[in-house]
Amino acid sequence: MITRDKLEELAKKLMFEMKEEEYMTLEKEFDVILRQMDLIGNISDIKGVQPMTFPFEMDLDDSYLRDDVSSNEITFEDMKVNVDDYEENMVKVPKVVE
Amino acid sequence: MTDRLIDEIRSNLDSGNITSDDLFEDAVFKARKYQDDYNCFVTILDKKEESKGDSIISGIPYALKDNISTKGILTTASSNILRDYIPLYDATVYKKLKESGAVLIGKTTLDELAMGGTGTTGHTGIVRNPWDKKRMIGGSSSGSAAAVALGIVPFSIGSDTGDSIRKPAAYGGVVGYKPTYGRVSRYGLFAFASSLDHVGVFARSVKDVSYVMDIIKGHDDKDMTSLIDDDGKYVSRIDDSVCGKKLFYIKEAIDIESKSEELKKIIENFREVVNKCKSLGMTVEEVSFRKDLLEAIYPAYMCISCAEATSNNSNLTGIPFGNRISGKSVNDIMMKTRTEGFSELIKRRFVLGSYILQKENQEKLFLNAGRVRRLVVDRMNELFKKYDGLIMPATGEVAPYFDMASDKLSDEYLILGNHMVIGNFGGFPSISIPSGFVNDMPVSINITGRVREDALVLNMANKLEEVLGYRGLVKNNE
Repeated sequence: MITRDKLEELAKKLMFEMKEEEYMTLEKEFDVILRQMDLIGNISDIKGVQPMTFPFEMDLDDSYLRDDVSSNEITFEDMKVNVDDYEENMVKVPKVVE
Repeated sequence: MTDRLIDEIRSNLDSGNITSDDLFEDAVFKARKYQDDYNCFVTILDKKEESKGDSIISGIPYALKDNISTKGILTTASSNILRDYIPLYDATVYKKLKESGAVLIGKTTLDELAMGGTGTTGHTGIVRNPWDKKRMIGGSSSGSAAAVALGIVPFSIGSDTGDSIRKPAAYGGVVGYKPTYGRVSRYGLFAFASSLDHVGVFARSVKDVSYVMDIIKGHDDKDMTSLIDDDGKYVSRIDDSVCGKKLFYIKEAIDIESKSEELKKIIENFREVVNKCKSLGMTVEEVSFRKDLLEAIYPAYMCISCAEATSNNSNLTGIPFGNRISGKSVNDIMMKTRTEGFSELIKRRFVLGSYILQKENQEKLFLNAGRVRRLVVDRMNELFKKYDGLIMPATGEVAPYFDMASDKLSDEYLILGNHMVIGNFGGFPSISIPSGFVNDMPVSINITGRVREDALVLNMANKLEEVLGYRGLVKNNE
């Protein structure tokens, strides 16, 4: 059973706030998904199965490794399109030390 | 002219009847005309890009889903947190299309961050179904599907993590193709769930999908999960005979008692398709698939995709890029940026994903979901030893009304509404093609084949499309 405290703790870790009605929807959703996952736990032969993390085996041979040379250079001219505040070629960032 | 098939557009371009500039203007005119009613686009380009390519699609307009990076062109993933973001580099799929001479006309609306299947959660509003404005087009590649269905462009690019190309294609009466995992580079695609994400194609015929696939497939050093190219052109094999090919369908999904008249008609349409397959010399057999596994597909998908998404999207803080909200400290900035930047649905998905990844829940949730994934994929691979493909109705319903979203966990919907996720679990090539109409709305069938056998899946789909008679279907709402 999931508690409201736990949901609030998770949202805080994820660095956002949620409204009261959003938590209510979330609780209902959790209820359904966790019930479904309980059913999964009851699948007779699930124990001992290696969890799948990738669709199929791939031969990662040498052809997948490129030479260790820089290939993606971003110029300041390109970069500044997403920057609110800059001076010459330096980006002004928020103060991080209080 | 943009509502025609690629061969016809090509021959008009080559004969000088039209120019690429005419086509661009025509596509942009239609995109703008339909924008208020259907909301296919986040961005419609004002100016045609310079292109020098020489290919079957050179000079022909197309659209890209707005989670695919385009240097210098706004790319928002339909999320407030990225509403002003301009990528610094091109996605490989965009680069290849540009080099082929195809002409981008705009970036299409999606469900926020591609996490959703309704086309209702993008930051610029809902996308409507061209066949009935009161209905959804589905998602998450909503605008890409609707733009092809409306005849704005002859093809478009989408992404598919659960069924995000194939379902909106089915709801919109167009062809939607998700290739083998790794067949098309994902470099520059905003990651949702990396072990399930694919880039794919919408068009109005299987041949047009094949033309585009032949341009965008291939190994990419920038995507370590991309496959070594299988060489050869898919389009050169689409007319091969399919006589003797073997398909199966899942008994537990088709052989059901339902009170829904709509579902009965969809099953009836499917049985007609099966007969058409047989008329081509294919065999179609009913196969039993464990119901407990079929019912586990959707919850397992939710666990895997939400967990991966929570991790992938942790870079959306407003600090390195994105729509930063000012605050007293870095933590305060991130908190405000993420609170205002994400919609409710996204926050719920992230909380679920984070819960699943907590150490104490991993065994029961995340790892069990991965175990279900393996059992399902193993069973499919066992069946693929005997059969060349799985054939199913793409969905268990026509496009839903906006106020009647499906209950994905209801008994009827649990299997027929979610089976296309199997294609993502195993990375199988999978295609939806229109197969008729139910209640005046298009319905589709779905064919899924063995990993790396994209050419065969496109071949079988093309031959079937020929006898079904819905090639080039377009909803021209002039």
